[in-house]
Amino acid sequence: DSDDIVTPVFQNSPKAVSEKMCIEIVSLAFYPEAEVMSDENIKQVYVEYRFYDVPLSETETPVSLRKPRPGEEIHFHFSKVIDLDPLEQQGRRQFLFTMLNGQDPEKGCLKFTVVSDPMDEEKNECEEVGYAYLELWQILESGRDILEQELDIVSPEDQATPIGRLKVSLQAAAALHAIYKEMTEDLFS
Amino acid sequence: GLVPDSGAVFTFGKTKFAENIPSKFWFKSDTPICLSCGDEHSAIVTGNNKLYMFGSNNWGQLGLGSKAAVNKPTCIKALKPEKVKFAACGRTHTIISTEGGNVYATGGNNEGQLGLGDTDERDTFHLISFFTSQHKIKQLSAGSNTSAALTEDGQLFMWGDNSEGQIGLKDVTNVCVPHQVTIGKPISWISCGYYHSAFVTIVDGELYTFGESESGKLGLPSQLLTNHRIPQLVSSIPDKVIQVACGGGHTLVLTEESVYAFGLGQFGQLGLGTFIFETSEPKVLEYVKGEKIISISCGENHTAMITDTGGIYTFGDGRHGKLGLGLENFTNRFFPTPCSVFLKFMVQLVACGGCHMLVFATPQA
Ligand SMILES: [Mg+2]
Ligand SMILES: [Mg+2]
Repeated sequence: DSDDIVTPVFQNSPKAVSEKMCIEIVSLAFYPEAEVMSDENIKQVYVEYRFYDVPLSETETPVSLRKPRPGEEIHFHFSKVIDLDPLEQQGRRQFLFTMLNGQDPEKGCLKFTVVSDPMDEEKNECEEVGYAYLELWQILESGRDILEQELDIVSPEDQATPIGRLKVSLQAAAALHAIYKEMTEDLFS
Repeated sequence: GLVPDSGAVFTFGKTKFAENIPSKFWFKSDTPICLSCGDEHSAIVTGNNKLYMFGSNNWGQLGLGSKAAVNKPTCIKALKPEKVKFAACGRTHTIISTEGGNVYATGGNNEGQLGLGDTDERDTFHLISFFTSQHKIKQLSAGSNTSAALTEDGQLFMWGDNSEGQIGLKDVTNVCVPHQVTIGKPISWISCGYYHSAFVTIVDGELYTFGESESGKLGLPSQLLTNHRIPQLVSSIPDKVIQVACGGGHTLVLTEESVYAFGLGQFGQLGLGTFIFETSEPKVLEYVKGEKIISISCGENHTAMITDTGGIYTFGDGRHGKLGLGLENFTNRFFPTPCSVFLKFMVQLVACGGCHMLVFATPQA
């Protein structure tokens, strides 16, 4: 009886998993004792990261959420698919390869920035309140995507003491594997 | 494909249809009159009184005589001699009613939510012998492990899980046969959430809530929460209530004047903005003031509202695209957000489930 049902034919075939990656900023929490918790100027926050030529407007959470209370988590569930087409996005693929191959540990990481968004835009400016780093190498090494991994958030002034945690997901294992293979083949050919 | 004048059912999120990519389908010579979404399955009743089911089927909730998932709406042939009128999907079960006054159930039954007198699951629709042609069914609802049937004359019957008092019985943990829930006034609307429930009275349009009391989802002040196992009046809503929709941890209320929200809103499912993630005090959705909302639906963590001009707003958990707001980039929405896909459509029906949403819409003339 399923011939009672009409389904329009799909126009565009979905992209292969090795030709894209998906980054999700899931949620964040601050530790109760962290200075950011007692700072009354910090009322709401958003999270951003930079990815090669992708406009920042597409890699920052579209909303700022109320600063989490002690023990509370705030949820963005902000996911973005980044096109890594081998023909059209060589620049992005090279950018990822450089991160995977980098000697400098900070350059081998995707850096997330937690930003305080002032309520009254005229009086205050956005202020960076913390950073979180995700090592891309671990995905290549394990061959597995990252599902809701908790990253330490450190403050800009003191990168040794965590002030909270940022939860992120990254579906990139297939793409990173393909990029690494393709670029190292180039090196030795 | 161009949608026919008779409209199409649009699918969003983890429906199992079209590999969970936002999609649509329609019937060759039939149109939907009732949509319902469970945690991972869906039901559609058509104007020709046929029942179509699809989605997850681990408990036999599709009633197809197997437990294999089904990725395309499939007609339940066993019910063809009957004229199906309403369907309600719970988390893992389904109940339906017919024009002749029969009520059938299939799927998970661990708390007696099938109303068949036992707790054995079924993978085909079984008749609930309790209901007779005297019970003219007006509405069905199903929660996590609960079921409810409301009659034209305002009698409410509920059965299944009562561990939190969500079927309004004081002392038992569950019941396997329908049981009348009454506060002495006829009832006009029922909604079963995951672990809480709510109904509206006909004459005064009063709202009553019961069941799990955490995170403000009953809309009651804390001193009333000790009595959460029996229906209690939500007295803080001043105007006449028309509809109520219960989700996983939140509750939406449509009144003659406005829309109220309370409970848990950590993903935005209350639609009250980026500063209120929980409230036990019913709050008006200021954002849609001036718009006339005619229908509301709550999934586990998201909400949809239809306007009188055929528009639709969604908000809450944006994962898997269940809000109908994009193809591959998603985010939680903390304010009611218009679905632009439906700009040239009249939205007729909406149903929100665990991680998906169905919308029936017709092209604008
Ligand atoms: Mg439901
Ligand atoms: Mg959900």
